[in-house]
Amino acid sequence: MLLADFGTSYSKILDTAKGDTPLILPTKELPRSFMADLATGHNAGRRSRRSINELTALARGGYALIQRPDFVLLDCGSRDIKFVRFQDGKVADMGWNAECGASMGFTIELLSTYYNLDYAEIPPPTTGFSVTCGVLGMSHIFDAIIAGASEAEAVAGFVRGIALNAYRFAHEPEELYLSGGLCSNPLFVACLPGRVHTLGRFVLLAGLQATLAQDAHPDSLLPGQTKS
Amino acid sequence: MSRLIGIVGVPPLAVIEKINRDGDRIVDLDEPQIRAPIDQTAAHIPRVYCAILRTVVLNSLHLPLDLVYIDVGPGKCDCALHVSDILADLLRVPVIRTRNQDTRSFGYPLCTSRMPLMEKVSRITKSVQSAAPHAPVPPCQPSCGFWGVPPRDFALLDLFPETTHVFGWTRCMENKTPADLELEHQVDPTIPMVFFSQSFCAKSALAKHLADKHPRAIAIDCDVTPSSSTRAKIEAFLELSGVVPDRRHTP
Ligand code: SF4
Repeated sequence: MLLADFGTSYSKILDTAKGDTPLILPTKELPRSFMADLATGHNAGRRSRRSINELTALARGGYALIQRPDFVLLDCGSRDIKFVRFQDGKVADMGWNAECGASMGFTIELLSTYYNLDYAEIPPPTTGFSVTCGVLGMSHIFDAIIAGASEAEAVAGFVRGIALNAYRFAHEPEELYLSGGLCSNPLFVACLPGRVHTLGRFVLLAGLQATLAQDAHPDSLLPGQTKS
Repeated sequence: MSRLIGIVGVPPLAVIEKINRDGDRIVDLDEPQIRAPIDQTAAHIPRVYCAILRTVVLNSLHLPLDLVYIDVGPGKCDCALHVSDILADLLRVPVIRTRNQDTRSFGYPLCTSRMPLMEKVSRITKSVQSAAPHAPVPPCQPSCGFWGVPPRDFALLDLFPETTHVFGWTRCMENKTPADLELEHQVDPTIPMVFFSQSFCAKSALAKHLADKHPRAIAIDCDVTPSSSTRAKIEAFLELSGVVPDRRHTP
């Protein structure tokens, strides 16, 4: 069974017949003919035999991995940010920001390449910019550099602004589970307030696996489902 | 010859009765009536404004109206009050402001019926044009709830199952008591509910407030048309609440 999480920049593919290790490859390198059995993400409807939406996959994957009745899970990808909040084992709130949260992850990645920066070596700043989207936030970086900040300082201020914006979007929980590509950005993770647990990039794939497991055992319950 | 009368919001019953008696035709200006880009209204009304009222202006620019009744009281909103000034300046026909405070309840059988939500809300908005009592419709057991005004784009409604009960101002509309705040506050805490408001509408504060107090609810807002993330949010919320969304129209 071929499972796929089609991200805007990277796709995560898992062939369940071949083991537990997913493959990550740039979405633009994916053959046009590629067809998954069950998928989520960008164009999943066209590139798979069956698809579920990303928030559903995130909630199911988070619930399967975190195994707690109450938690907040924030997913920061290239193109958008999403969160789900569970209370008593049920989804109590959720959000998906593809407009104002647009391109945050993508911009952070572009900046490291452009300025040749390693985010593991940049300490989290104590102040930053107020950033609502990746594109608009760029002008703050140029302004800061013109005002005398180093490139690393300016980009760090930008990353901090993005992290705070994402944190507010998830309604500022004391404890936060983080998923998506930005889990592997130490500066971004360090800029998030509160206790942060990183879950990595495969939470949506875990959501697809949870969906498969439910198909195989229809009596088991997915989050929110109650026996009738 | 019958005249074409534009209505905005829910005018008082006495006005509807008069229009019907005179044999005039009613056109609901709150709903899209013509195919034209909404940005044509930008010279008259800000782009960052309730899309329903921008639609009112767009319809008014194109339709051969003879008269407009616009409700501007507690049964509608201040935004409509200001739009009534714009219409009065823009149109060469009388623009009559009303303040509907009717209290006679007609009931809300469609709100609790089993029927595709889009059809249900269409029939409710259409019912405003008649002063006759509602035909009885059997109620159904609700699987989820939709709270709010009829959206600018009814496409938002097609994800909901037929057993969705309708609350909020749409319920007040069917009851013909658009200023009934108590009815507007009514919710069902035993079913998952989606609290909808138009972007830039004051009701978004009430939607968020009621959603926060409800044990299983989300608040969403939408401007001209629902974005794919708004649709995905509704779909995921229903799915994760154990309700099977209607995915026929999912992009
Ligand atoms: S949606 Fe809100 S702002 Fe728009 S017309 Fe209705 S009450 Fe007024």
